[in-house]
Amino acid sequence: MKVSITKNKIYTSISIILMILVWKLASVFLASDFILPSPEDTVLAFVNIILAKKFFVTISYTILRGLIGFSISIILGVVLGIFSGINNSFYSFLKPILITIRSTPVISLILLALIWFNIDSVPIFIAFLTMFPVICTNVTSGIQNTDTNLIEMAHVFKIKKYRILHEIYLPSILPYIFSGASSALGFGWRAVIIGEVLSQPQYGIGTFMQSAQTYLIVKDVIAWTIIAVIISYAFEFGIRKFENFYKKP
Amino acid sequence: MLSNLGFGNLRTFTKNLKIIAMDLELKNINKSFNEFKLFDNFSILFKENIITSIIGPSGCGKTTLLNIICKTCKLNSGNIIGLDRKEISYIFQEPRLLPWKTVKENIQFVIKDLYPKRKQKIIIQKLLQIVELENFGNHYPSQLSGGMCQRVAMARAFSNSSDIILIDEAFKGLDIKLKQNLIRIFKKIWIKYNKTVIFVTHDIDEAIQLSKEIFVLSKPSVNIKHKFQLQDTFSESDYNTVKKEIIELID
Repeated sequence: MKVSITKNKIYTSISIILMILVWKLASVFLASDFILPSPEDTVLAFVNIILAKKFFVTISYTILRGLIGFSISIILGVVLGIFSGINNSFYSFLKPILITIRSTPVISLILLALIWFNIDSVPIFIAFLTMFPVICTNVTSGIQNTDTNLIEMAHVFKIKKYRILHEIYLPSILPYIFSGASSALGFGWRAVIIGEVLSQPQYGIGTFMQSAQTYLIVKDVIAWTIIAVIISYAFEFGIRKFENFYKKP
Repeated sequence: MLSNLGFGNLRTFTKNLKIIAMDLELKNINKSFNEFKLFDNFSILFKENIITSIIGPSGCGKTTLLNIICKTCKLNSGNIIGLDRKEISYIFQEPRLLPWKTVKENIQFVIKDLYPKRKQKIIIQKLLQIVELENFGNHYPSQLSGGMCQRVAMARAFSNSSDIILIDEAFKGLDIKLKQNLIRIFKKIWIKYNKTVIFVTHDIDEAIQLSKEIFVLSKPSVNIKHKFQLQDTFSESDYNTVKKEIIELID
């Protein structure tokens, strides 16, 4: 086991080194900072961005928008997901709404949101619309996949309904909530940043990406992208840690 | 006379009523699944505080009978007499333990609303001792063997001081040694608590070893082919005669 973990790490490192190498070669070949800056220049830009005065305010705003959207999605997703899992009529009612939201292109949602909401709420609204259906669908399938034998056992022993919900359904759907939250956050960060690019709030990763793109400072665009990826990874890592904390043998 | 009784006396009175009552009787029950008549005016009587086994071919409604008694399956018509105010426990074919709860918590799950915490603790401790799992109270089901899980399920069934215990092929699929051990432990726990037990099984040996009465059921629409009454102890030849008779009836 240990050997295979070390081996996997070697392969991962090779893959990362290879990507950087290809990037370096391409930048030498293209020889233009306006098209593709070198990895070293990008690292320098990355450091400059991090050391800039407004860096923490900027990423805090993006993270805050993501977290607000995520929290609303988790609360509504879990509550409505549970209802639609235990009530077939509600499931039939909710299903077309979720499918419509999921299959609408994010860009259409943003364009409509730009008309309907103020600038600061657009990324939150978009984050909610991308994350909520994923979490809700996952919770519903968690409820539907709960072991019916356990529910039957609880009925035979005359366990009260709220205890069945709390002690059988909730622990059963916990892994579904975690996996839903993890993939929702993946979509969610992207949505928040796209929302920021288009709505241009005062602070936000998307806002700075957009202005870097306008002035053709490609190294800044890439450096901000790397920051966004790091934030996304950090949250996914956090969720996994949280899940392991709750996992029982 | 009732009007003279205080509240406390009324409680003792109803409790006594419960003690004098009563065998469990299913009278003229009818149960169909679509056009298929499983029980057609079927009647059966289970005596109180003994172990009664039900044997019969597959699909003769043995499990449905248990589900009718514990009311998870509704009757089309008929009466169940002697079930009022009685609590029912069930030992299923699979242990049906909550994987996220420890052994102790699994038993506590069914008695949480019935007794104060201190009493719950005493009951759990006592039962774990009887099923020989006193050192496994804090283990999770995934850390136990199948036989051990089934012992936890037994302890759970006896924990809520129910009057009737239903068992649905709880020893199925276990090897002979494990099965004998479970039967030994079940007997031990039953002698201690002395409940009405209705035991559905395919295994004739299990039925003879455990029960005082055995009903052999026919294929649908179900009726009782024969009722055996067994002695507490009997010779090997008696054992074999009963076994042979049951085999012939089922065939």
